[in-house]
Amino acid sequence: MSAPDISVIVPVTLRHDDVAALFATYREALDDLGRSYEIIYVLDGPKPDVLDELQKLRATGRRLEIAQLARSFGEATALAAGFEISRGALILTLPAYFQVDTRALRALLDAKNDHHMVVAHRWPRRGSAFDKLRRGLFHRLIRAVTGSTYRDLGCGVRLLDRQVLEEISLYGDQHRLLPVIVERNGFRVREVDLPQSDRDEFRGRYSFRHMVGRILDVFTIFFLVRFTKKPLRFFGGVGGTMCVFGGVYLLVLIVQRLFFGQPLADRPALLLSSLLVVLGIQIVGLGLLGELIIFSHARDIKEYRVERIVN
Amino acid sequence: MPSQLPRPYVSVVVPLYNEQDSVEPLHQQITSALVALGASYEIIFVDDGSRDRTFAVAEALAARDPSLRVIKFRANAGQTPAMAAGIDHARGETIVTMDGDLQNDPDDIQYLLRELERGHDLAVGWRFERQDKFLSRRLPSVIANRLIRKVTRVAIKDNGCSLKAFRAKVIQGVPLYSEMHRFIPAMMSVAGPKIAEIKVKHHARRFGQSKYGLARIYRVLLDLLIVKSVASFSDRPLLWFALLGVPAALIGVGGLVIGLGVQYARFGQVSLPVAGSGLLFLALALFLFLGGALAELVFKTGDVRPRQFAALTMTRPGTQGAGAGQ
Repeated sequence: MSAPDISVIVPVTLRHDDVAALFATYREALDDLGRSYEIIYVLDGPKPDVLDELQKLRATGRRLEIAQLARSFGEATALAAGFEISRGALILTLPAYFQVDTRALRALLDAKNDHHMVVAHRWPRRGSAFDKLRRGLFHRLIRAVTGSTYRDLGCGVRLLDRQVLEEISLYGDQHRLLPVIVERNGFRVREVDLPQSDRDEFRGRYSFRHMVGRILDVFTIFFLVRFTKKPLRFFGGVGGTMCVFGGVYLLVLIVQRLFFGQPLADRPALLLSSLLVVLGIQIVGLGLLGELIIFSHARDIKEYRVERIVN
Repeated sequence: MPSQLPRPYVSVVVPLYNEQDSVEPLHQQITSALVALGASYEIIFVDDGSRDRTFAVAEALAARDPSLRVIKFRANAGQTPAMAAGIDHARGETIVTMDGDLQNDPDDIQYLLRELERGHDLAVGWRFERQDKFLSRRLPSVIANRLIRKVTRVAIKDNGCSLKAFRAKVIQGVPLYSEMHRFIPAMMSVAGPKIAEIKVKHHARRFGQSKYGLARIYRVLLDLLIVKSVASFSDRPLLWFALLGVPAALIGVGGLVIGLGVQYARFGQVSLPVAGSGLLFLALALFLFLGGALAELVFKTGDVRPRQFAALTMTRPGTQGAGAGQ
C-alpha cells in the first residue's frame, strides 16, 4: 500500500466527545480536502469504552488505525507514538473532541506553503470573561519568556511536515508547547484563524492539577530558553546576587561586632546572612554543574539545524 | 564526514550572515589564495540563516566550483554554532576559520598554515593594525583581550580575530557552543596545544553592517568566567569542588566550636545563630563535595575526555615525524 499524503493523528486523553460523531465529522472534512489520508487513533492508556467504539467503527468498514498505550504517558507522548506508526509526508493532529469547525480545515493546507508547521487559532471564540483573562495571561507569559506571539497554544489542530517530528523529541505534556519548541528548532511556524466548533465546550471545571500544569508549561519553556545554552549565565546571576547581598550583610554584622561592640551571638540576622551566602554558592554550584554538562556533551547537543548542504 | 575522496590539505570555514555582497569577492579571494598555495583545499560557507540573498549567491558559486560547499541553516543560530557546523563538516587535515565580511585577508592563510607545519596545533591571527572605530570597537577589545589573557593565562593579544588555523583533530575534539568562538584558544587550552600568534592584515568593512556593539562586553565577561571555570574544572571536577568546600567546612567547624564551646564556656549559654551558621556552612561543604561527585559522573558520560586531549596534542620527541599524535 502506498503512503498516504496526510497522516491524521488523534490522541485520546481525558477529554473526549462522542467517538462516532466526531469520526464522521473528521472523515467528511478530510474527504473534502481531496488528498489521500490515514487516520490514527492513539489511546493514552487503556480506555475500554473508546476502544470499543473505535472497533465498532472499524467493523462497519471504516479505515482507521488504533494504537493503545499501556499506561497514560501524556498527550505529547501519545502524539509521538502515533507518529511512529504514521506514513504520510504531512502530519495533521486533531483533538479527540470538537474544537474547530473542521469544514475550514482547508485553510490550514492553504497556509502551509513553505512553512514547516501551521497551527490553528480558534477565532472567533466564545468563552466567559474569566476564561479570556486566564487565556490571555497564559499566552502573555509565554510571549514574555519566548517572544513568540501564539494566541491559542491549547488548540490541538496542527499541520506539520514529517521532518519536524523526526527532528524534535516530544514527551509528557509538551504538546501545548509544540509550536514554540518547533520554532526554537529553526522551523517556520504559522498561526491561522479557524472558526471554533459550536460544540467545543468543556463541561468540567479546570482542576487544580490542570492549573499547575499550565504554570509548569511556562516554566518548562523558560528553562528551555534560558538554560539549555548557558546555565551558568542564569544561575550565576541569581546565585551571585544572593551571595553578594549575604556577604555584604555578613560584613556589616562583623564590622558592627568588632568596632561598635554590638554582640553578634544572639542575632538571628547572622543566620539570615549566612543562609544567603550558602544558598548563593549552592545556586552558582548548580549552574556550574549545568555548564559542565553542556561542555562535556556539546558534541551531542548540536546548536545548529542544517537545512541543506550543497556539494 | 568521512568520504571516499582523499582528504584535502586545508578546509576554509567561513560563517556568513547577511553578507550577500561579500560572498562573491570572498570566494574569489580565498580561491586565488589557496590556488597560489598549491595544496588541495575545500571552502565551506556556512549560511547562518541569512535573510538576504547570501545563500542564493553562494549556491550559484557552488554550482560552478566543486571545491566549494555551502551549509545552509534553517534559522539564525549565531557565529559560534556556524563555525562549529563548518568544523564538523570539514574534511581537511587542517582547518582555517575566517570572517565573512572581507575584513580578514585570505593571503594570510599561508602564514598561519606555515605555523601548523612547524608543529603548532593552533595559529591565530593578530590584527595589529585594526581598521575599526577606536572608541566603540578597538578600545573595548583591548580591555577585553587584556582581561582574557590575565584570566585564562593564554598569551594571545587578539582573541577576537576570526582568522585562525587549526590542526583538524584538535579543534574537532574541543566543544564549541554558544558564543565560544572568541575563546577558542582558551577552550583549546584544556588540550594544552602549542599556539602561535602572527600578524595579519585587516581591512575596513566594505559592505553591510557590523553585527556587534558595545553591549556584548558584559556577555564577554560572563563567558570569560564560564570558560575559565569550565576549563579549570574539566580536569578533576571532584578535586575542584572539594577544594571549594574546604573553606566552607572550616567556617562551619569554626562556627560550631565558637557557638557551642566558646560561648558556653564564657557565658554558660550556647549561641544558636553562630552554631546554626556553622551548620549551614558545613551543609554547604557537603553539598559542594557531592556536587563534585556529580561532576565526575557528568564527565564520565560526556564525550570530552582529558585523556583524549592529551593524545591529540602530545609530541614524541626523538621519533621520526614528531608532531601531533596521529
